[in-house]
Amino acid sequence: MAKRIAIVEDEAAIRDNYAEAFRREGYAVDAFEARQPALEAFESRLPDLVVIDINLKDDVEGGFELCRELRVRSADLPIIFLTARDSEFDAVSGLRLGADDYLTKDISLPHLMARVAALFRRLDALNKPAGPENRIVRGDLEIDTDRMTITWKAQPVGLTLTEFWLVHAMARYPGHVKNRQQLMDAAQAVLDDNTITSHIKRIRRKFVELDSDFGSIETVYGMGYRWLAD
Amino acid sequence: MNLKRQLLLVSLLALMLPWAGCEFISGTESALRAGQQQMLSGTARAIADSLSRDREEFPEAAPPDFRFGEQLYGHPLDNAPLIDGYIDDWTISERALRDLPGVDGPTKFAIGLNEQHLYLFVSVRDDSVVYTPPGRIPRGDRPGFVDRVRLISSSPPYLEQTFTFAAEAPGAVVTWLEEGGNYAEEPTIRAYWQDVPGGYQLEARIPRRLLGTHLGLVVENTASDSDRAVPSPSFNSRSPGAFVTLSPELTELANELVQQDMRLIVTDASGWRIAVVGDVDTGGGLPEPGPPALLRLAYDAIVESGTEAIFAEPDPSGREQQSYIASALRGNESAAWFRSEDSGRAIVAVAEPVRAGDTTIGAVILQQGTEAILSLRTEGLSLLLTVTVVAMLVVGGALLGYATWLSRRIRALSIAAEGALEVESLRTALPSAGAGDELGDLSRSFSYVLSQLGDYNEYLRTLASKLSHELRTPLAIVTSSLDNLDHEDLDDTARGYTARAKDGADRLRRILAAMSEASRVEELVKNAEPETFDLSAVVASTVEAYRDVHTDREFELQTAGEKATVEGSPELLIQMLDKFVDNAVSFSADGDTLEIGVDVVEDKVELSVTNPGPPLPERMRGQLFDSMISVRPAKDDKHLGLGLYVAKIVAEGHGGSILADNTEGGVCFKVRLPRAQS
Repeated sequence: MAKRIAIVEDEAAIRDNYAEAFRREGYAVDAFEARQPALEAFESRLPDLVVIDINLKDDVEGGFELCRELRVRSADLPIIFLTARDSEFDAVSGLRLGADDYLTKDISLPHLMARVAALFRRLDALNKPAGPENRIVRGDLEIDTDRMTITWKAQPVGLTLTEFWLVHAMARYPGHVKNRQQLMDAAQAVLDDNTITSHIKRIRRKFVELDSDFGSIETVYGMGYRWLAD
Repeated sequence: MNLKRQLLLVSLLALMLPWAGCEFISGTESALRAGQQQMLSGTARAIADSLSRDREEFPEAAPPDFRFGEQLYGHPLDNAPLIDGYIDDWTISERALRDLPGVDGPTKFAIGLNEQHLYLFVSVRDDSVVYTPPGRIPRGDRPGFVDRVRLISSSPPYLEQTFTFAAEAPGAVVTWLEEGGNYAEEPTIRAYWQDVPGGYQLEARIPRRLLGTHLGLVVENTASDSDRAVPSPSFNSRSPGAFVTLSPELTELANELVQQDMRLIVTDASGWRIAVVGDVDTGGGLPEPGPPALLRLAYDAIVESGTEAIFAEPDPSGREQQSYIASALRGNESAAWFRSEDSGRAIVAVAEPVRAGDTTIGAVILQQGTEAILSLRTEGLSLLLTVTVVAMLVVGGALLGYATWLSRRIRALSIAAEGALEVESLRTALPSAGAGDELGDLSRSFSYVLSQLGDYNEYLRTLASKLSHELRTPLAIVTSSLDNLDHEDLDDTARGYTARAKDGADRLRRILAAMSEASRVEELVKNAEPETFDLSAVVASTVEAYRDVHTDREFELQTAGEKATVEGSPELLIQMLDKFVDNAVSFSADGDTLEIGVDVVEDKVELSVTNPGPPLPERMRGQLFDSMISVRPAKDDKHLGLGLYVAKIVAEGHGGSILADNTEGGVCFKVRLPRAQS
C-alpha cells in the first residue's frame, strides 16, 4: 500500500507541484490549503508524513499550531516544515515543536524527494532489528546508517535528518576537513554559510547536552569542519 | 560676510542716535538764541525809546551832501600821552588810525580826547620834508611853500579857525592860530614834529576850549618851497563836518539803562559811536579751560557758526559799520550772532533804531554773551556724546553677543545635522529643538527631514530581506514547476529551455539568499554565544585557506606580537573577513599582494585588510557600509552591495567600529574590536 503524504500549503501552485511530484514517486497525496480542513481530514485518518507550510494565508503561525496538534496525536509521525521563512528563530521553533526537518522552499524537488524517502526509510528501519553491517563506530560515536540514528557513549542523540547527514559526512573520514560544499551535498540541501554554521552549532549543543566534555567537531577556520579522530 | 559682521553693520544704525541728538541740540540752540535775541530786542527797543526822549544829546545828522569820512571822531584816551611825535602811548588800536590820500602815500591820523585836551596824531608819507624857514609864518603861499598840517575848527555859523603846524626843524613846533587871515602863535598848544624814514609824524595837544563843534584836517605836502603844496583834506565840502566823540550825558544815561553782562552801544545817525557802556565777556583774553577738543569739534560741526566775535567789539575807527547796525540806521531793527573761534563763546547782538518822529537819529546796539546757552550746550553735548558712546557700545555689544549666540546656535545645528547624517543617529534631537523661534522651527524641520531619512534608510535596510522573503514563494513555484517538467516527455529543444530556466532560477535563488544574509547575520550576532579567542590564530588559519582559494593573489599576514584576544563569534568574524577579502580580491589585479593584519592598539584589537587598487570615491565614504551600496561598476550584477553591510553588522555586533580609508595606491578596511581579558 502506498504511503500517504499530506501537504498543507496555501499556495495552490506549489501545493499542486509538490503533490504532483509525490504522486510521481508513488505516494498517495492529500493536499490541504488551510489548517482546519487538514485537521478534519486527519480526524478520520492520519497520513504517514506531513509537509506543512508555517504561514497559512491569514493564519500566520498556522503551521506551528498544526504541528503541535499533530504531535499530540502521534509521537512518531514524520513532520517536515517547508517554508518561505528562513529565519533561524523559526527553524528553532519548528524543530522544538517536534518537526523532523525544517526546509526552506529553496529546496529542489529531487532533494525533497530524497529526504522524504530517507524519513520513510528511517521509519521502516526502526521496526527492524539493527544489523551490524550498517554501523559505523568512531570511538564513542556509533552511527546506524539504516535507521539514521546516532548514539554517543551509548546514548541516542536526537538529530534531524539534515544534522544526521552532516555528522555522518564528517565522521565517516575522521580527521578530514569537510568544506561547506561537501557538507551541503551530504545534507542534500542548499545551505548557505550561516545555515551550516547554525547546524553545526546545534549539533554540538546536542552532543554537549549528553557529554559536557564533547569536542570532537572542530572548526577549521576558513575551510570547514572535521571530526577529530581519537 | 558672516552673521556677526552683518549685525555689526546693522549696529552702525545706532549712529542715528548722535545725529538725532545733534539735531535736537541744534534746534534747542537756535530756539534759545532766538529767545535771547527776542529778549535783547525788547530791551533794546525800550532803551531806544527812552533815548529818543533825549534827542538833543544826539549830534545833528550830517547834511545830506556830507559824505562819510568828512566827520572826525575823537577817541577817548585812557591817559594823557606824551607829546613826542610817537603814537605808542595812545591807548587806541592801530585800526583807529584813519587814512588820507597823500601825494607821496597815505597819511594816517587819529584824534584822541583826554580830559580837557584834544590830541592829534598825524603820520605823513613825504619823500622830501620842506621845513619852514626860521622866523617865517608858515602861511603856505609865496614866496616859499612848506609842508604843514592844518586843523580847521568851526562852530557854524561862526568863522573858521585854523591851527597850523609846520616845523622849522624836527622837534617841538610852534602852533599858529589863523583866523580871518591873521596868524598868531598859540602857546597853549603843544606840538612835536618827528622825522621818520619816508616822512614825518606830528603829535599835538590842544585844549578843547579852543576848538569849535566842527573839525577838519588838511595835510599840505610840497615837493620843494617853490612848488605849490598839495592839500589832502579830511573833508571835501567847503567846511568840515561836526566833530563826534562819546557823549558823557548819553553815557550816563546808558549806564542807567544797561544790565549786567550786556554791552550797550549808541551811535548817531551816521553810525558814529557816541556812547558805549558795559562789556561782554567773550573770554577772548584768558586761555580758559574750554571744552575738550573732541567736544569742540563736535560742537563746531553741529552749531551754525556765527561771525567772528571780534566784529562784535566796538569798531576801532569809532564808526560802527557792521551790516546789522547799518540796517538799524536805515530804520530796521536787526540782529547778528557772533562766535569766537578760539573760545567758542558766542555773542548775540541786536540793533534798534532810535527815532525822533520819522527820522532815525541813531541806533542802540545791545550785545549779550550766550554763556548760559553755551554752557548748557557743552554740558548737553558732552552728556549726549557720553550717552551715545555708551548706547552704541551697549547696542554694538548686545548685537555682537546676540550674533555670536545666534551663529553658535546655527553652527551647532548645522554640525549636528551633518553629524546626524554621518553617525546614522538620525533620530536624535538636534540643538534648539525646543526653541520657539525660527531656529527652533528650522531645527524641528531638520529633525523631521532626518527622521524621514532615517525611516527611508530603515526601509532600505530591511528592503533586501523583505524582498527576498516575498520573492521566495514565486521562485519556489518556478523551481518546483521546472523540477516537475523534468519528468515530462520533452524534446531536446524543450530540455534546453528548461535547463536555462533552471539556471536563471538558481541565480535568482542565490541573489535572494545574499539579500537575506544581512538579516540572518543580524540574528546570528544577536544569538551568538560569545567565546574568548585569539583573533591572530583564527585569522592565520583563515589566511591559509584564502591562499588555497585565491591562487592568483599573494597574501601577507602580519600579526601582533601579543595575543589579540577578542570576545565573540569566530565564525562571524571570519565571515566578516571573508567579505573584506572578497572585496579586496575583486578590486585588485592578478599577482597583487593583499595585506591582512591583526594588531593590538591599547585596549583595541585592529583587524585590517589592505589591497592595491583604485581609491574609494570620496562621496561614497560615508555610505560605503550601508545596505545595497556598491562602488562596483553597474554591470557587475553579482554584488548587491550587501557584503560590507554584513561586515558592518558583524563589527558593530561585536562592539567594534568599521572604517574604510584610501592608502597610497590602495584601499584599507579596518575593524577595531574591544580587546578582551584573556
